[in-house]
Amino acid sequence: MIPFDYRRAGDAETAVAAVAGNPGAAFLGGGTNLVDHMKLGVAEPDLLVDVTRLPFDSVDPLPGGGLRIGAGVRNSDLAADERVRTRYPVLAEALLSGASGQLRNLATTGGNLLQRTRCGYFQDVTTPCNKRRPGEGCSAREGYHRYHAILGASPHCVAVHPSDLAVALTALDAVVRVRGPRDGHGERAIPAAELHRLPGEHPEWDTVLGHGDLITAVDLPPLPMAARSRYRKVRDRASYAFALVSVAAAVELTGDVIGDVRIALGGVAHKPWRATLAEAALRGRPPDRAEFRAAAEAELADAQPLRDNRFKVPMARNTIVSVLAGLTGEEPR
Amino acid sequence: MRSDEPMGGFADDALVPADGEHGAEAFMPTRRTVLVSAGAAAAVTVAAGKGAGGAAWASAAGDTRVRTVGAGESVEVALSVNGQRRTVTVEPRVTLLDALRERLGLTGTKKGCDRGECGACTVLVGGERIKSCLTLAVMRQGAEVTTVEGLASGDELHPVQEAFIRHDAFQCGGCTPGQIMSAVACIDEGHTGSDAEIREWMSGNLCRCAAYQNIVAAVQDAADAGKKVRR
Amino acid sequence: MTTSTKSTVTRTDGIGASPRRPDGTAKVRGEFAYSSDLWHEDMLWGATLRSPHPYARITGIDIARALALPGVYAVLTHADVPGVNRYGLEHADQPVLAEDVVRYRGEPVVVVAADHPETARRALERVEVGYEVLDPVTDAESAVAGQGAELHPGGNVVRHVPIRRGDPDAAAEVVVTGRYEVGMQDQAFLGPESGLAVPAEDGGVDLYVATQWLHVDQRQIVAALDLPEDKVRLTLGGVGGAFGGREDLSIQVHACLLALHTGRPVKMVYNREESFYGHVHRHPAVLYYEHGADRDGTLRYVRARIYLDGGAYASSTGAVVGNAATLGVGPYDVPNVSVDCWGAYTNNPPCGAMRGFGAVQAAFAYESQMDRLAAACGLDPVEVRIRNAMAQGTVMPTGQVVDSPAPVEELLRRVRAKPLPPEPSGEPDLRTLPGGVSNTTHGEGVVRGVGYAVGIKNICFSEGFDDYATVRVRLQVVGGEPAATVHTAACEVGQGLVTVLQQIVRSELGVERVTVEPSDTTIGSAGSTSASRQTYVTGGAVREACLRIRDALGALSPAELGDKVLDETVEWRHRPTEELHPETGQGNAHVQYGFAAHRAVVDVDTELGLVKVVALDCAQDVGKAINPQAVLGQIQGGSAQGLGLAVMEEIKTEGGVIRNPSFTDYLIPTVLDMPPMSIDVLELADPHAPYGLRGVGEPPTISSTPAVVAAIRAATGRALTRVPVRPEHITGT
Repeated sequence: MIPFDYRRAGDAETAVAAVAGNPGAAFLGGGTNLVDHMKLGVAEPDLLVDVTRLPFDSVDPLPGGGLRIGAGVRNSDLAADERVRTRYPVLAEALLSGASGQLRNLATTGGNLLQRTRCGYFQDVTTPCNKRRPGEGCSAREGYHRYHAILGASPHCVAVHPSDLAVALTALDAVVRVRGPRDGHGERAIPAAELHRLPGEHPEWDTVLGHGDLITAVDLPPLPMAARSRYRKVRDRASYAFALVSVAAAVELTGDVIGDVRIALGGVAHKPWRATLAEAALRGRPPDRAEFRAAAEAELADAQPLRDNRFKVPMARNTIVSVLAGLTGEEPR
Repeated sequence: MRSDEPMGGFADDALVPADGEHGAEAFMPTRRTVLVSAGAAAAVTVAAGKGAGGAAWASAAGDTRVRTVGAGESVEVALSVNGQRRTVTVEPRVTLLDALRERLGLTGTKKGCDRGECGACTVLVGGERIKSCLTLAVMRQGAEVTTVEGLASGDELHPVQEAFIRHDAFQCGGCTPGQIMSAVACIDEGHTGSDAEIREWMSGNLCRCAAYQNIVAAVQDAADAGKKVRR
Repeated sequence: MTTSTKSTVTRTDGIGASPRRPDGTAKVRGEFAYSSDLWHEDMLWGATLRSPHPYARITGIDIARALALPGVYAVLTHADVPGVNRYGLEHADQPVLAEDVVRYRGEPVVVVAADHPETARRALERVEVGYEVLDPVTDAESAVAGQGAELHPGGNVVRHVPIRRGDPDAAAEVVVTGRYEVGMQDQAFLGPESGLAVPAEDGGVDLYVATQWLHVDQRQIVAALDLPEDKVRLTLGGVGGAFGGREDLSIQVHACLLALHTGRPVKMVYNREESFYGHVHRHPAVLYYEHGADRDGTLRYVRARIYLDGGAYASSTGAVVGNAATLGVGPYDVPNVSVDCWGAYTNNPPCGAMRGFGAVQAAFAYESQMDRLAAACGLDPVEVRIRNAMAQGTVMPTGQVVDSPAPVEELLRRVRAKPLPPEPSGEPDLRTLPGGVSNTTHGEGVVRGVGYAVGIKNICFSEGFDDYATVRVRLQVVGGEPAATVHTAACEVGQGLVTVLQQIVRSELGVERVTVEPSDTTIGSAGSTSASRQTYVTGGAVREACLRIRDALGALSPAELGDKVLDETVEWRHRPTEELHPETGQGNAHVQYGFAAHRAVVDVDTELGLVKVVALDCAQDVGKAINPQAVLGQIQGGSAQGLGLAVMEEIKTEGGVIRNPSFTDYLIPTVLDMPPMSIDVLELADPHAPYGLRGVGEPPTISSTPAVVAAIRAATGRALTRVPVRPEHITGT
């Protein structure tokens, strides 16, 4: 790990100014991703601004019934929060499906959202990678890419975003609150679904945030339908592994039909993938497996799998069907 | 850690107590002339460490003033380690794991992957289990750290340590300090309601010898014993 | 052999008991000193520069900038190797530091010593190595066929073993064929390679290292350093797991070289990624099988071609080939056998010893074939196995007559007779479903499957190897109490050998107090901690030494020794074995066979491809359980590694480059993946072995993998001819 300066931020404004004023600076949250990347040489910041002691460590009710999750709230505390568990179970399940107890005790809400891809080439500084060094080329496209994207990739990057939390937040229409160098004392709000971006021409940008932008909180809207929500993660072992495919979903039945539905996919794209096509196909339709399957296929119609991850397309379809069937009480075949 | 800890010697526990009495020395290797454990060496290292100068934290926890520790510059980090106040002088890039192992000589905490993937480096900070390889020591200014060396009271093992021996919950022992620290926290968290729950909440600690069945039994046993004591 | 009229003493801490491990307290207290925990006041840190290419010619090495870095004490290349710059377990074909050519990605080229690990790392970055990249050989089968560059003089076949028994043209009514693949598995021990070399005043060096065989390390080090044996002294550091991966050299020569060059102690520790490059792996295999049988399932013949990828250097490929060939038909009585097994040189990572080597790869194929045969004959999978099961007296394909119990049928009957786990009913605990806690459905699409397998493994070293152990046992009265010490060079790697040796001494000498001294090279070799052999060979040697002491004691009891010290050093060997005939593969190559059978029960989510191993029950014959608790631990551990190979573990290479050298990308089973096991331990004495015991560690690794895969096949109907089985293989996409 290369040497770097370290500062502990006393307040958000100073933290933002410290990072904004130095192009080589980075915020340090739980460290589970950044410290790892610094060991690998993937990240080489010359200043770390420790934001773990900023006063963003609580979950507070919002007027109107939502919740505001401080960016510093740790994954384990958020997963254990009674309000989250009962009103937004998809969120608690997503958190508990990630990493391990020890890591969830370190990882923060903001840091989790900003973790970077697990693409092996991104992490191996001896190989070309457009995300690490724009213009070098993508090694994964023709390489070992079983874990990589099937949706929204570009010729420049086929990486996927690894966060489980982000998938749940995307399904829940959460809003990310950001304070940046241009925001003065104020903050701006970014829908969770718009925080992360597709790689396009610039895979080096994971999110729409600019340098010095600090996530301060995530707002959960009051969403009664979220009480019936689920997260399911398909992976190579039963625990402590990243997703091949994951699905976050919430369903509201109105009479005999689906009144409203939220679906987001993980492990399939450079960002949490809000399945808007599937949602649209399902609204007003009866909750049965044929409908679920048709909706999933509509969402995945444009999938462009790579040589070795074609399996993800039917896997994503089946996971969507399985989660929706479970949520709507559809009986086993 | 004792500075005369023999390496690789296998005397019988029952006959060679930890303090090396009862004439056991006759049967122990005498490697200490060549090798000293990290415990003794640490004193040398710390004493020789660079002074923190103006970069030191005036007070530990709760200090919210913004200060900068320069690249390559060392800082004094005050920690409570196993109930003792310890100060390490480290650069910001030193992880808590390396501070414990290389500076404080507490090599009981293991480095299995250094990437948060195996659990061997698990310690308690403020009573909660974390992976010490992915946290910087400088971030833990003022923290209470418990390592595997801090569990026993003298010769009396912690109930989880005792349960691990009783249930043969290890072979090579390389993951064991992490397993035990994780188990202490797992019990404290109340995640021991069933074998399945223990398995879920202990799944962040890999054991390649796969003593898993016995680890689950040890955790369950220690948890049950704890419940009895509390009643 | 010494005889004694006294009978073995029955005790609660002796043979057959499970006393506490002598290293237990230190291990749970964090006080057990692993090789990575060693420290010396003046020590430097060593680091290794490795080849970035799988195959390349070295055009130049410039170390000047590295040497100029403050804090750097040595930068060494092949030119600094004073002795023979070649080492290897079976063939000395591997450079200590690469000279003109690198043959695998990760091959050591330069080593440095510096005052801090970071300084050493920076020094490596300043070494400039010129490479002319060459086309790598990455496929074992085509390498055997002679395609691609010749990587070593004599060609790319490390070894070919043919086995011919009976009629080579035998025909049969029912014929089943298959092509099978086994991926490259990693030992994945938790304690990475590490050691500390301390230069000595006599011009020699003392090395403290985690290894499996001190003397074979020593033999290779002295050749490279051009020193006499007494100048290179090894002591075993605490070993954080081995499983075969520490049988080859890693840091040994490098650390000694640096220590001698700098005059300072040098510590070397690999990180996890480097560990993936720094030790050999299990040979990946491609296996072609044809089984011919009568309609009732009775085997008429087995023909097989097996290709093992040895990677860039030979390591123990020769022995692995021998095992896969001689055990290639499994624990079955087959009248006509034609097996050919090749080990190839390629530019893939070197492969060598891992628990069950050779037998693991073959078992996946022959057990898959037995299931195909059962299906073709309309038989139950257990029935077809029992119909062909070998037994004591069976003639092996090598012509060797099995002269001790071979309870293959009983093992199968026992695992079949075990109660099946209850079918899932009602609201299941999510953690028990395939996929674990994130499985939030109610089990729709979940299908249960049951599979069986049985395996065979040779115990101890084979094919004429002089396999022995040296031990010294002393008995004296200390503080009014009789006390014994045992000194051997045998490596405790976690398996509990030290406990077992104490137990043997307690039972044989009737003393409670037994100390096992640190393992080092001040005594003769005890052979390797591998091939499931240490309890057999070093245990046998300790027993022999104790018997001699008992003879010397005569009528005295140990407590009556007074000032006398009884001291016996013994070199003990098992029955000799024979080399295989080079054309027919005939010969009494093995001293003992070990057997285990598994029944796996799996729940498979057929839509998502997720597998939950619900039960993995085992029956194994151990001849005599010297320490029943340790026996169970070995069976659980071996079975788990077999489960890992079945459903998740594989080193992925791309053009010779490892693409997943981390525990995030190379997954091993967690506690959630491994079910509790029900285990039957049989004790059918081998009359030729000490106490009748049979090696324990490897057999459970062998049958575990095919049993799990058979269960997944039963649940899904898929052919599944490759391990590990991935979700996509189950969903068929």
